Amino acid sequence: MGALRIKFSVTITCLFALWIAGFASLPAREFLGIAPQDEGYYKSDVIKCKDGAKKFTKQQLNDEFCDCLDGTDEPGTSACPEGKFYCRNSGHIPQIIFSSRVNDGLCDCCDGSDEYNGNVNCSNTCWEAGKAARERLKKKIEKHQDGLVIRKQEVEKAKQEFVKEEVELSKLKNEEKILKGLVEKLREHKERIKKAEEEERLKKEKEEAQRVAETKSNEQKQLLDEYPEDLPERPHDKLEKTSQYVKDDHGDSIAYDHGSDHKSHEVPSDHSTNQHVLEDKDITTVKAGANEETGTKEVHPDDAADQVQSPETTEGLSREKLGRLVASRWTGELSDKQTKEHNDKNEEEKENHDFAESGEEENYDSYYHSDTDDDRHQYDDEDDDNDFQDDADEPYGKDEVEYDDSSYTDKDFTSESPDTTTGSLSWLDKIQHTVQNVIQAFNFFRTPIDISESSRVNKEYDDASLKLSKLQSRISSLSEKLKHDFGKEKEFYSFYDQCFEYKQNKYVYKVCPFRKASQVEGHSTTQLGRWANFEESYSVMQFSNGEKCWNGPDRSLKVRLRCGLKYELADVDEPSRCEYVAILSTPISCREEKLKELQQKLEDLNKSQPLAHDEL
Amino acid sequence: MTSPVRRSAAPVLLVLLLVFSSSVSAWKKEEFRSCKQTPFCKRARTRAPHSLPPFSVSDVSLSDGSVSGRLVPSPSIRQVTDEDPSADAAVDDTAQRPLLFRLSVYHGGILRLEIDEDPSSAPTPKRRFRLPDVLLPDLEDRRLWLPRLSSPSGVAATSFYLADGFEGILRHDPFEIVVRRTGSEGEPVLSFNSHGLFDYEQLRAKKEGEDWEENFRSHTDSRPHGPQSISFDVSFHGANFVYGIPEHASPSLSLRPTRGSGVDESEPYRLFNLDVFEYLHDSPFGIYGSIPFMLSHGTRSTSGFFWLNAAEMQIDVLAPGWDDSAAPNAGRVDTFWMSEAGVVDAFFFVGPGPKDVLKQYASVTGTPAMPQEFAVAYHQCRWNYRDEEDVAAVDAAFDEHDIPYDVLWLDIEHTDGKRYFTWDRTLFPHPEEMQKKLAAKGRHMVTIVDPHIKRDDSFHVHKEATEKGYYVKDASGKDFDGWCWPGSSSYSDMLNPEIREWWADKFSYKNYVGSTASLYIWNDMNEPSVFNGPEVTMPRDAIHHGEVEHRELHNAYGYYFHMATANGLVKRGNGKDRPFVLSRAFFAGSQRYGAIWTGDNSADWDHLRVSVPMILNLGLTGMSFSGADVGGFFGNPEVDLLVRWYQLGAYYPFFRAHAHHDTKRREPWLFGEENTALMREAIHIRYSLLPYYYTLFREAATSGIPIMRPLWLEFPADKETYDNSEAFMVGSSLLVQGVYEKNQKSVSVYLPSGASWFNLRNGVKYDGGVLLKLDASEDSIPSFQRAGTIIPRKDRFRRSSTQMVNDPYTLVIALNGSLAAEGELYIDDGKSYDFEKGAYIHRRFIFANNKLTSIDIRPSTAGEKKFSSDCTIERIILLGLPSGAKKAVVAPGNHEMNIELGPLTLRKGSKPIALTIRKPNIRVADDWSVRIF
Repeated sequence: MGALRIKFSVTITCLFALWIAGFASLPAREFLGIAPQDEGYYKSDVIKCKDGAKKFTKQQLNDEFCDCLDGTDEPGTSACPEGKFYCRNSGHIPQIIFSSRVNDGLCDCCDGSDEYNGNVNCSNTCWEAGKAARERLKKKIEKHQDGLVIRKQEVEKAKQEFVKEEVELSKLKNEEKILKGLVEKLREHKERIKKAEEEERLKKEKEEAQRVAETKSNEQKQLLDEYPEDLPERPHDKLEKTSQYVKDDHGDSIAYDHGSDHKSHEVPSDHSTNQHVLEDKDITTVKAGANEETGTKEVHPDDAADQVQSPETTEGLSREKLGRLVASRWTGELSDKQTKEHNDKNEEEKENHDFAESGEEENYDSYYHSDTDDDRHQYDDEDDDNDFQDDADEPYGKDEVEYDDSSYTDKDFTSESPDTTTGSLSWLDKIQHTVQNVIQAFNFFRTPIDISESSRVNKEYDDASLKLSKLQSRISSLSEKLKHDFGKEKEFYSFYDQCFEYKQNKYVYKVCPFRKASQVEGHSTTQLGRWANFEESYSVMQFSNGEKCWNGPDRSLKVRLRCGLKYELADVDEPSRCEYVAILSTPISCREEKLKELQQKLEDLNKSQPLAHDEL
Repeated sequence: MTSPVRRSAAPVLLVLLLVFSSSVSAWKKEEFRSCKQTPFCKRARTRAPHSLPPFSVSDVSLSDGSVSGRLVPSPSIRQVTDEDPSADAAVDDTAQRPLLFRLSVYHGGILRLEIDEDPSSAPTPKRRFRLPDVLLPDLEDRRLWLPRLSSPSGVAATSFYLADGFEGILRHDPFEIVVRRTGSEGEPVLSFNSHGLFDYEQLRAKKEGEDWEENFRSHTDSRPHGPQSISFDVSFHGANFVYGIPEHASPSLSLRPTRGSGVDESEPYRLFNLDVFEYLHDSPFGIYGSIPFMLSHGTRSTSGFFWLNAAEMQIDVLAPGWDDSAAPNAGRVDTFWMSEAGVVDAFFFVGPGPKDVLKQYASVTGTPAMPQEFAVAYHQCRWNYRDEEDVAAVDAAFDEHDIPYDVLWLDIEHTDGKRYFTWDRTLFPHPEEMQKKLAAKGRHMVTIVDPHIKRDDSFHVHKEATEKGYYVKDASGKDFDGWCWPGSSSYSDMLNPEIREWWADKFSYKNYVGSTASLYIWNDMNEPSVFNGPEVTMPRDAIHHGEVEHRELHNAYGYYFHMATANGLVKRGNGKDRPFVLSRAFFAGSQRYGAIWTGDNSADWDHLRVSVPMILNLGLTGMSFSGADVGGFFGNPEVDLLVRWYQLGAYYPFFRAHAHHDTKRREPWLFGEENTALMREAIHIRYSLLPYYYTLFREAATSGIPIMRPLWLEFPADKETYDNSEAFMVGSSLLVQGVYEKNQKSVSVYLPSGASWFNLRNGVKYDGGVLLKLDASEDSIPSFQRAGTIIPRKDRFRRSSTQMVNDPYTLVIALNGSLAAEGELYIDDGKSYDFEKGAYIHRRFIFANNKLTSIDIRPSTAGEKKFSSDCTIERIILLGLPSGAKKAVVAPGNHEMNIELGPLTLRKGSKPIALTIRKPNIRVADDWSVRIF
């Protein structure tokens, strides 16, 4: 019995082989839509549904009736909604399509195998498509290879920089400790001098008093004495200011920009407020005029302001204003300006808070693609990558980069300590030495106190304090920087002080990683978001909590990173209102894994080439 | 008064905050007139029954087969003033002129009452407006020629034949009309003026010093013709509830009383087409459309009343005991109707069954147009799909996620500055190519065309309309200039047939540059919406063709616009392509021109809930092709609301997702794979039921019976169904219950008595007449097939309905207690008018005596054209058959095939629970039978 079955199946297989040979291009009905590696599964006479729900016979395979709800029995027909059809696509790469595409009158597979019922003739375009795909793939591979070279260098550099800055930070912290000690010493010393001076002065006063205050010329002397008493206060004032400034800068870089934004928004807002009274009077004249004209009327730029005066009531508005107001309920256009102002004020308060990263919007990250596998049956979905290679010749260079925040490059500080890692000892030593000298040189027992000595101490104290504050500002900016997540290999380290710009129509989009993103139109700047984090394993930079949209969400921007040889921002888009997306090409995003994947793809493509075509 | 100069920014900030918060809050009540602010309504509503001097009937005669005569006001003083209804200042001659009336009877149980002024004694040249173009042109052919009148003994009255079993009684003094059953009982069905509230303000010359102007907010209505309102009472006898008179948003299927004992201060139901921003989910205020047709239903009777009048109408449903009568009106619903202008042209429909009333109404205003098949499938819309790339990406994403859709919509932003018929060429540089790409996948596109025309001399439509004088005029005779999307706009005067023709021509491929044969149209804002007009619409004293005032026509403006657009598409296709036009505004008869939707709803659970009673009431009043925006227009639906909305919306006759441009994107694949699967499944259910839906559209097109039906329409004797606002029937075979609450754990479903029901989720059979409590499942909302029915389906899924044409059918047979079932299938080419010439397949499937038979029910008189289909039946599912059947034999041919256990749907995880005949592979076009052994 068993032998018989074997014999039988051998016969079948032979017949099959003959049959396949006859129709070289199309597999047999039984094997329609089945991937070659899967054919074994269908060899037996009774086949299991892959979900294990039931079994079916060979006769039920591709018989246009859905027996397995998972589509196991109908890989080559449209009978099971859950089914998948495999096209061989010789000359190109195989593809798996939904069963809903089988015999639906549309050619989906390049080999046309999905349309076999004769309703439509699909020509085989696999060779051409495959060739083009291979070309694209090759280019892409090249790009990834080249990109990886650059990336390697950049990563190396970034690592070094990072280490350097880490070293610098710890060094600075040491120095800070020492300097703090010095400053403390000087301060104590200064206090003592002050005390001594005070004592001396009191003593003198006493003596004076004892001399029964005869001559007025003493006043002159007293004034002179007071001067040095004043001295320590002044530099102190200055110091406070400086540290205040630095602190602000480090608190959040946006604080600085906000100042200017605030100003630019504030001006029109003040303007409209002031105009209110005038406007009220104007309305009557405008209204009378408007009623008489029937032609198109130009929009008065201050119309929007009228709304402010009567938000709830629509009575007493001119016809045109009423129309605009009612329209704005749907569009929000009119009120946008006002709410923007209003929000700017909110923004101010917001600045002071540390914003928690919001992951809430991740669900909607892509408007056309879900989180699920995009590549299901597409092999050249990232061809747009190529675009970045070709256009825009502007050289990428650091000189293009804008520094929004001068605190990162404190000229005073750096010039004074050009190389903190090597030369630091010398300056610190020098200070230590000087301080030592000054302190030692000062003779408390000498009366009267030597004024020049005393002012030297004061000067040294001031200098040292100033240095300390600068040092501290540098420390805080450095540690702020080093706190960030620069990627597994610190590969995004160099992004820290870079901004990328892209001009689209009237807008300039500016993306400053780790800081903020904005949309600039002329003199007005709209915050699209503040740095939130990297997402999707460092392939997306998320900026969130930008300016609020009227009747909508806070603005946000997602920057998708793509492999490219240059650093280029492109394709800013707003698929949903006030939710922006952009693409940034950078060699940093050229990854080894992706390269391997592409190479594998190419290999697969080449493998599937029929020999006949190789000879062409 | 001087206003202080603001020094501090704080008040400004406060004001700004107010602007902001108010702009996102809902409905602006004060911008719309209440009854009290509407003099005719206030006047009429405060009147007590029988407080007016009565009219009496005189000169009754038969002329041209209709009853005609005069209504003579009683000689007592009748005076009407706007300001004070009770002030009987002076004798007014004009108010005492007799009115003319006519009573006509139409085939099928319809009585028509017309009352107008007597033109021979008119004091002003103004004639009252009679709305043309709504009644079917052949209505007069169906008028019965009354042979004689009779006088019942005892009372001064005239009686006449109405229909078999029904007669009309005209009481002479006081004037009253009663429709009643014949016979000794003489049980009344409908009556008119039984409470003496009939009033008719006749046109008259303006007296010196009289001021007819009306002011509302900053708007002045010049009212050159003075008061001319009409009001009357109508009683529905033997009724428990009344329904209809859309469009109102309410969670209640029946119309709740608006006046009388137990009713708090309330407004009447208002019929006045308005563009209401963020309308409330429970309010009698008028929104986008108006159909002055009310139905009543009760254990003893079903009847209907339709008042053909397009002026503002206010209707009170009076609570029992409203008239303080000693005997409360048990088993009767009294209603009170008021209109600002026009004439009485009213229709009484006697039933007796619910479907009879619907057919009677359809025989007057028409049945819904047969749509193209694609229009019955799923529509994807958003304000706005931004540009061609966006369109291509959305289209591709549907394919990527294997979700079918048929139509992609473009809202106003696709135009060049809101100039309709144009394209923003930056965003849409290649509109033809874009449409062709969709069309290559069998998909269609819809663009929006609104009635406001941008007043821009470089815009050819405006230029032409101005030159030809095609615009509606303002009270001073100039082209009316209002504000809408494009800014300053004018509105073409669609009352004029010449202008409608002109408008229709705008849709030709030549005139509508960038349009292709796969492009169809959406008419929005056609109430009309005028942002700076009174109540966001056109002033009532604007002037239309023939010196008709806008007040007389208002509720029909959108109807005419819809008509002109639909005719434009018919013209474009040389009369061969069925149009698809979605309109927001509508009136009685709009069903002949296309679909409507319930306008700008909100993304909240309440709006999900009210969509069902809203659509049901639209269906009852003829507008069966309707739906609500899936997901809700305003706001962002939470994902479970969106999923539930897809699950419910998949059963709406018109199934479209739409969203405001401030909302987040919400295409079905944006909420994670699990939710994508749920929404895909909901859309798949609709696609699998397309054969059933299309058959129901055919039934609606021939009979007027809606696709989506209140339970009582199918189960008129089951009182429990009368006010069920949560469940509905799709056709006569399918019952669907919505899930309207977040995190709902269980659902209560009332299954009507007189039938058994099969749960389509698991095949479980339930007896009717019970309130069933089911666990709420995430993957679907409850649906049941009624025992005794057969539903045709197509269970293969495609990119769009276009690719399903050749796919095989599945028949789902749910057997009743006597193991019998019946169902129908209608098929045609899905797009042309050939079906009117007989090119269709219409089969009835009958299962009885263990045999399923398919018989041809296409009448031989259908026409010469034939339609053929090679489609087969791949699967027959039998529910309710006692197990034991093993084999089925098909005749002719005597093929034998196995019966096995199979799933109810091909959804993953379905259990094999139903007897299934595997691959009978019989052609739907053929006669055959399948015998079960």
